[in-house]
Amino acid sequence: MTATGLAPYCDEQLFIPALAARDRDQVLVEMVDRLVESGRVRAREVILHTVRERERIWPTAIGKGVAIPHGRSLVVPELTIVFARLADGVDFGAEDGDLVRLVFLILAPYHEKANRYLPALGKVVELVARDETRERLLKVNHWSEFAALIGEAS
Amino acid sequence: MESPLLKLIALQDIDMMIQEAKDPEQTGAQEELGFKLNNLDALITSRRHLAEQLDQRTLILYERMRKRYGRAVVPVEGQVCLGCFMGLPTKNVGVSGSRDDRVETCENCGRILYWL
Repeated sequence: MTATGLAPYCDEQLFIPALAARDRDQVLVEMVDRLVESGRVRAREVILHTVRERERIWPTAIGKGVAIPHGRSLVVPELTIVFARLADGVDFGAEDGDLVRLVFLILAPYHEKANRYLPALGKVVELVARDETRERLLKVNHWSEFAALIGEAS
Repeated sequence: MESPLLKLIALQDIDMMIQEAKDPEQTGAQEELGFKLNNLDALITSRRHLAEQLDQRTLILYERMRKRYGRAVVPVEGQVCLGCFMGLPTKNVGVSGSRDDRVETCENCGRILYWL
């Protein structure tokens, strides 16, 4: 999967350029709410429960101000990525102690025909590992900028 | 979360997570990406608390189906049970969301149904 390959799972409705949240849980709530508002998922409480539980046992802050909450659930029809740039840094318990400013929420059904979940997760990790990409993500304000960035990277 | 069906799905999501956490291949792949498993015991405790919120009959049905098929709850798409891929009879015709408060099973395979 190329980074361009991430584009089908991202959407303008799932792009949040300046999310104001006081803590990690509020970030998750706001991002799940956006997913529900987009009409892609109905069972808000199930998704929130699953994402929270996973975050508790399998923390998703990978350092350098990035968190990638992810998981599988029966109520998710297809692989989907919600992106949020946080207005202020939020503590996700990262090992490097950095506050998180960039969050990718990746959700998928238990089994997909093409099994794209882990490759997509790996691609996002690879993407944000680049200093230049993180710096650009920290400045994106419009969907077109984000889409271009996802499309350009390879 | 009040609906027994949604509680069952949350329970199944946790069971899938526990399964993933116990699979060295899966945990290894996650660890390579930078995600370290922290506290599996907490998840097992959480599963127990969730299971306690279900009535005995529903829980027994779930456990029986889980033992038989691995996954007890399956999605329905286009009036087809995605567990056994059999079309559902007309009486099961439903609208997404309107059936979340009911625990219904596939007449063919017995799995619990969730309308996506």
